[in-house]
Amino acid sequence: MLFSRTFYLTEVKRQLRNPYTLAFTLAMPIAMYLLFGANAAYADSSAGHGNVAFYVMCSMAAFGAATAMSSICSIAASEVGQGWGRQIAMTPLSIAGYAAVKLVTALSFSALSTAAVFLVGATTGAKADDGWRWAAVAGLILAGGLIFGLFGLGVGLAFNSDSAAALASISITFFGFFGNVFMPLDGVMLDIAHFTPMYGYVALVRWPITEGVLVSGGSDELWVVLLNVLVWTALFAVLTRFGVLRSRRRR
Amino acid sequence: MNTRSTPTEPTASRATQDAPAIEITGLAKGFGGGERRVRAVAGVDLTVGRGEIVALLGPNGAGKTTTIDMLLGLSDPDEGAVEVLGQSPRQAVASGRLSALLQTGGLLSDLTVAETVDVIASFHGARARVTEVMERTGLAPIAKRKVSKCSGGEQQRIKFALALLPDPDVLVLDEPTTGMDVVARRSFWEAMAEEARAGRTIVFATHYLEEAEQFAQRTVVMNRGKIVADGATAELRAALGGRTVTATLPGPVNTVTVGAILDALKQGGLLDGLQATDMQIDASGIMRVRTARSDALAAKLLELGAHDLEIVAPTLETAFTALTQDAGE
Repeated sequence: MLFSRTFYLTEVKRQLRNPYTLAFTLAMPIAMYLLFGANAAYADSSAGHGNVAFYVMCSMAAFGAATAMSSICSIAASEVGQGWGRQIAMTPLSIAGYAAVKLVTALSFSALSTAAVFLVGATTGAKADDGWRWAAVAGLILAGGLIFGLFGLGVGLAFNSDSAAALASISITFFGFFGNVFMPLDGVMLDIAHFTPMYGYVALVRWPITEGVLVSGGSDELWVVLLNVLVWTALFAVLTRFGVLRSRRRR
Repeated sequence: MNTRSTPTEPTASRATQDAPAIEITGLAKGFGGGERRVRAVAGVDLTVGRGEIVALLGPNGAGKTTTIDMLLGLSDPDEGAVEVLGQSPRQAVASGRLSALLQTGGLLSDLTVAETVDVIASFHGARARVTEVMERTGLAPIAKRKVSKCSGGEQQRIKFALALLPDPDVLVLDEPTTGMDVVARRSFWEAMAEEARAGRTIVFATHYLEEAEQFAQRTVVMNRGKIVADGATAELRAALGGRTVTATLPGPVNTVTVGAILDALKQGGLLDGLQATDMQIDASGIMRVRTARSDALAAKLLELGAHDLEIVAPTLETAFTALTQDAGE
């Protein structure tokens, strides 16, 4: 049995009932976009191939997606460790089957977050030069968001408790502030930001608009951004491996 | 009997016709490394036939839960083999023929009762059975309640429902009535009696000796990773032999008077064959003797002036205590 529709629908229902999920993946990105994007005086100035409102919209959608991926994947890991895993081990569901449903659920909320922010953006003056740029950004958000699924998985395995999901979401917010995701950083803070987990991801997401040009001046080369993404993916994989070992020792 | 190599896919006939419900041979498993290695299971052989009802008894640390984990395919043995209905445990679980009520299994607190049952049913392809199973386990009234709001006994009932969903041939229960009050426990065992009548093989681990006595035809006692007794529950009591005679000895209780009484008993041959653990005399003069010759001993004690006589048939509890103590010597 690979994909259980009932399981998927129940998982979606469950997350929709969860106030934290709704707050971090829907309310917060939309609110931040409206605050810093749509209602700012500079909203309609150019940010490259789109206006500033669009730029902020991309950033917030990316944040919402990363939060969705990391929190849902960390919940998945910690609930397996806490006894539910033994319950489903007594059924024909394979590990692949479980992972598939959880991944699709996380991607569904990632997509939901992106769609919600884009909808609000489109109706409040976010503009891009070409239609395809909207699709490109959305694709980058969803594909890149998988990295944070890995992050969430690592956190959930390593810490194995109900608070693991909260830890994951709060970490993402933290990464956001220091990673040039919310407000544009400059000077030393910007230099440091290049090394933080969300920097590469969000820079890549914004690429169809900025092509690397930074709000505070200067620009990034593509390889710098890609390197950040690759390095952090590898580090999250190490975290996950550490988490697997830790969860095995617990048994 | 068979070669114990890694089991390959069994032929259908063996799996469905002649294989016993459970076959465990030479099972062993340890934890920890080096000097601190603990042999939780140290050589267990057990065969359970179809339709049997077996109680698994043992003190904490006896190895029951570790054995059950291996029986269900949740962990791998260091040595030996487990087969359920001629298949590996994982195969038996995947085909819905083996299921369990786990003590250490958990439920998701933010799902409702109905959602939990529905999701697990979907894994088994048994969603058609959800209503029936929820009726049988009394979950229909609390179907919409979140699991976190359910009492311990209600959560046990949910786990029981999950175990029944695949309509299994072999049902394994690990401390199934934990957290249940007397009424809930009684209705649980009534439901289980129904399952037994339907021909299911049932193995249950329990601390409640009354449950083993009332419900299991056969009792397996484990201690320190080994099986120390395995037989018909009724025989286990008889095998211990004898009844316990309790009486209060007469007069002042000191080494002289007690010695005199013991001599009198010895002369009548009434203390022959008794072990040191079979007799206790406490400071207030209460004498307790476990003997096959309870009638004769009682008569002699009364003759010697003892009073407040009591003769009690051994319960499974005394058999259990004796077995686990003896094995530890």
